[in-house]
Amino acid sequence: MTAVIESSQNVTDSSLYLDGIPHDRFAALRAQPGIAWHPYGDDDSAGFWAVTRHRDIKEVSKNAETFSSALGHTNLWDLEADALEARRSLIDTDAPDHTRLRRLISSVFTPKNIRRWEDLTRSVVSDVLDNFEANEGGDWVDLVAAPLPIRVILAVLGVPVEDADYLVELSNYLVEGTGGEQSLAPDAFGNTTELALLPFNSPASHAMFEYGARLADLRRNEPQDDMVTMLVQAEADGEKLSASEFRNLFHLLVFAGNETTRTALSHGAVAFADHPDQLQRLCDDRSLLDTATDEVLRWATPILHMRRTATVDTELAGTAISANQKVVMWYASANRDETVFDDPFSFNVGRGGGNQFSFGGGGPHFCLGAFLARLEISALFDEMASRSLGLRQRGEIVRSPSNFVHGILSVDMEPVR
Amino acid sequence: MNEPNPNQDEQNKSTEDSECVVLVVDTNKCIGSGMCEMLEETIFLINEDTNLAEVLGGGALAAERAAVVVDRCPASAISVL
Repeated sequence: MTAVIESSQNVTDSSLYLDGIPHDRFAALRAQPGIAWHPYGDDDSAGFWAVTRHRDIKEVSKNAETFSSALGHTNLWDLEADALEARRSLIDTDAPDHTRLRRLISSVFTPKNIRRWEDLTRSVVSDVLDNFEANEGGDWVDLVAAPLPIRVILAVLGVPVEDADYLVELSNYLVEGTGGEQSLAPDAFGNTTELALLPFNSPASHAMFEYGARLADLRRNEPQDDMVTMLVQAEADGEKLSASEFRNLFHLLVFAGNETTRTALSHGAVAFADHPDQLQRLCDDRSLLDTATDEVLRWATPILHMRRTATVDTELAGTAISANQKVVMWYASANRDETVFDDPFSFNVGRGGGNQFSFGGGGPHFCLGAFLARLEISALFDEMASRSLGLRQRGEIVRSPSNFVHGILSVDMEPVR
Repeated sequence: MNEPNPNQDEQNKSTEDSECVVLVVDTNKCIGSGMCEMLEETIFLINEDTNLAEVLGGGALAAERAAVVVDRCPASAISVL
């Protein structure tokens, strides 16, 4: 028996997310037996199976042969075949392509190798917090949550300081592409590629590709101690990254290394402002830093969902799923699953467990930048604890109208000492 | 319910007296994420030439902790021998 989600239980309407994640709707879906069918778009076949329970998401995520990332797309809507090919990044591949690509670059992102960026990250953290305090607060996103990850990822990649503003500008245009209207003309930045063939349909993607390719050439000729050098030199089993693989990866790193961590740092700040006792716990016991980082990640769920597509007729939680149907994993729901997290709506820095689905559901597409993101989040809240710096929220949270990124556009905060 | 208890990670670090099992890595599946190396750095190492996980020192670990490591590997590449 299949339940079809009624429009009053819709979870894809972007405007819903202006008030935050519709947790009541997800809770109702988790409580239903089986997996519910969610209509989407105008035609029946465009709908998807809405997977909302932690254990079911894990099953989909770990079973990448049955639930493909390469078929269709990893977003709710399908892309035309030519667009899918042109835009395909690590996110939209299956084994063996995914395994090969991932192995080429994985060593750069292991927890051990990410430690080399710790001093740099801590110095950026100090800098942005000094600025926040000197200003007696202001928009947290503008002063802290946006500049911290972008400055870290650009420094890690090896983007020269004088180019940082340009890449921030490009990145902001890309964020625009995840939501509503685009302010750029199709030929902006000298773009001549059809927009459908570019990530986020944005001419800023063309500019990002061009910039990445230029930087790669520079580093090939003159290696530096940075990630772009490591990537152009990356080799496993005698294979190297192709030019197209490199530019899509560079694009992914700048965007994902920026937008998602920004979101985690913003929701973390709001959570600590709402729960000053939890910041006090962290101040009193810094050994909680790891579990506090887990909890900020669980609380934030920066990416709300990812889609897979069934490769064969299969079954999930007793519901029959046909080949080529969309299966959408709602991480936003899994992170509040009451069968996994006790009292899931309480923010508890000592919770621990590390089983939040904020870097995916535990399968091969586990977030490549996870350990860099963790470093940035833990460095920020560690430094706030060192300074005994609390936060008070002065204004309303302005959220992104998106069912995909759990973005905060602005939130006014003041320092509390 | 077969999810690991959220607090088990910390508890399982001190399970010297529980039963030990031996872990192995399937290098055909490994994607070199380094998750295992982070969880148990005395047992796993990411080889710098292959970028893949290797088991050090026999790979023996308390059964309960081993289950967490097996579960966390994003590539499902670790199993109990």
